[in-house]
Amino acid sequence: MTVRTDAGDALRRLTTTHLPSWMPWLLLLVAVALSATLRDNFFSQYSISSTFATFVPLVLVAVGQAIVIIGGGLDLSIGAVAALSSVVAITVMGGDDGRVLLGVLAALATGMACGAVNGLIVAGLRLQPLITTFATASVFGGVTLWVLPTPGGRVPGMITGTFRLAIVGIPVTVWLVLLVAAAWFLLKRTRLMRHIYAMGGDPAAAYASLVPVRRSQALSYVLAGAFAGLAGLAILANSGSGDPFIGGAMALDSVAAVVIGGIALRGGIGSPLGAIGGAMVLSLASSILFFVGVPSTYRPLAEGLVVIAALALSALSDRRKT
Amino acid sequence: MRRKFGTVLAALTAVTLGLAACSTVGEDGETTEPTGTSSATEGGEEPAAGPFTIGVSNGFVGSEYRTQMIQDIEEAAAPYQEEGLLEDLVLENADTDVNGQIQQVRNLINSGVDAIIINPNSGTALDAVFQEAADQDILVFAIDQAVESESVINVGIDQAAWARTSAEWLAEQVGEGGNVVVVNGISGHPANEARWNAAKEALEAGGVNILTTVDGGWDQTTGQQQMTTLLSTYPEIDGVWTQDGMAQGVLQALIEAGKQNDVIVSGEARGGFMRLWEEHGLDSVAVVNPPGTGATALHFAMGMLQGQTIKDDALTDGHNVVLELEPTITNENFDEVWAEHKDKPDTYVLDSILSKDEVGQMLE
Repeated sequence: MTVRTDAGDALRRLTTTHLPSWMPWLLLLVAVALSATLRDNFFSQYSISSTFATFVPLVLVAVGQAIVIIGGGLDLSIGAVAALSSVVAITVMGGDDGRVLLGVLAALATGMACGAVNGLIVAGLRLQPLITTFATASVFGGVTLWVLPTPGGRVPGMITGTFRLAIVGIPVTVWLVLLVAAAWFLLKRTRLMRHIYAMGGDPAAAYASLVPVRRSQALSYVLAGAFAGLAGLAILANSGSGDPFIGGAMALDSVAAVVIGGIALRGGIGSPLGAIGGAMVLSLASSILFFVGVPSTYRPLAEGLVVIAALALSALSDRRKT
Repeated sequence: MRRKFGTVLAALTAVTLGLAACSTVGEDGETTEPTGTSSATEGGEEPAAGPFTIGVSNGFVGSEYRTQMIQDIEEAAAPYQEEGLLEDLVLENADTDVNGQIQQVRNLINSGVDAIIINPNSGTALDAVFQEAADQDILVFAIDQAVESESVINVGIDQAAWARTSAEWLAEQVGEGGNVVVVNGISGHPANEARWNAAKEALEAGGVNILTTVDGGWDQTTGQQQMTTLLSTYPEIDGVWTQDGMAQGVLQALIEAGKQNDVIVSGEARGGFMRLWEEHGLDSVAVVNPPGTGATALHFAMGMLQGQTIKDDALTDGHNVVLELEPTITNENFDEVWAEHKDKPDTYVLDSILSKDEVGQMLE
């Protein structure tokens, strides 16, 4: 009996604990300092531009994932949604600069539609988010292969070109990450986001205070879908071509970024800004391991340890408080 | 809320205006023309004297083929390292998708390599990052599987010809109207498509009846499971066309069903399959798909870094070095070939690496 209570406590502690909000930024500082010592060209323009180019897709899905998790859910299909959005966008654009706007809208619409499917199943049918999104990930993956059975297609030069520009000396990819942060500042003021926080913190209390719980829950997935759609575009900008198999690893990476970003897996606590930091830490950690010379065979292991260390840190810092 | 929105709008406008001040990102802020294949180290620059650094990017690990590919590259690099011409061989070798491989290539670019040898996960989706490498005068060689980007030199065998050889042989064996099942690699994977398109054509030309195609994921165990299922679904199979990395698994399934001498399998030039071929007195075919193309590419890289270029007649379509296939292994020459490789482990993939001198003849 006691054992079970202990286990229950431990589980609750693990899911409600979170890193303090300054932690991702401290980790980021450490990661940047390490990178700078390991690579003398770390602050060269190409290095900054390419490092941020690698960040952008993960930053976008991490923000989407953060919104869902803050609302008390989980979206394991977010990588598949990004992949589907990317193949729809490339198919719609057909390599034509004139259809870039259409492609952007198509990616956003695809992402939001997938999010709506997740949201309706989770909020409407009240199925477990974990199982639901795990299953829809396969469905979206299947649709992706149907839209683009073999890798190919050309991304309009306007997208790949702009992605590699610098505006007033600062690479576009850096601007994009700043834009995502700015978008969050807008989003956070909305009533919907307040509802999502309330719902994730305590669904029963939120319901009692007349928060439209189901609708907010469904909309949290739609929002995440929109970010995944944008991530699909970032993937295209990175690769210059379509690939139905891209993005599979992004769902788990986004959850890891959220954890490092100081967001409680239980919901209600934390900010997507932290997830942005978390995503950058995660990307940098992987390239730091490369530059330290860790044989790549061991790198997934080391990356996993980084995530576990972050979780452990969060549990420890929480225990100190109580 | 409205005021915030206004602030962001203003910021966006400022950014748009700032577009006038934009430039392309590159080292020293200058944009370089994409390095063509035959003028890679030309263009006013003196050929560097070295020592050089070469990076290797591989996005799929855990198969014997890829393991041997990396070993071959390391062995070919050793003499250059002793000579002091090659300072470092940097390996980026991990299971990843195209996104991850883009990061692999960027890591290599940022670590200052002079050339990159890559076994690409995609034929097109790495184009943009290849351009980033070309912009910084880094030579890129794609091995095992060709890519479309013209700044990249493809070094490898003709996958279509490779598949056609065994498919034509199989079509002849089962004859017109024979029933064949197909165990492919991974649908949608460019190497798989190139092979299957060619094999399908050859099988259809031979009047063969293709019952079905399944995916075995280039994995012996999966291949075996798929074949077991196929055997119970289709009782009237005369032959199996499969790709390398799965033929041994397919054959195991047939042996378990006791049908190894009734159903003809297109084989693979690997230790394990050839041992079974001998043991059971099979009638089969094997075409070598050499993991050593990476090592061959390394010789090209070292030559070109020292200022040489590839002769025009060694290039197809301006950026492809198509390596000749080794002689096909059939029952006629089996004993002769097997005698050379008998002592190798089951995981050994029959190989072919061009020597430094052989590559040197294609350079000028």
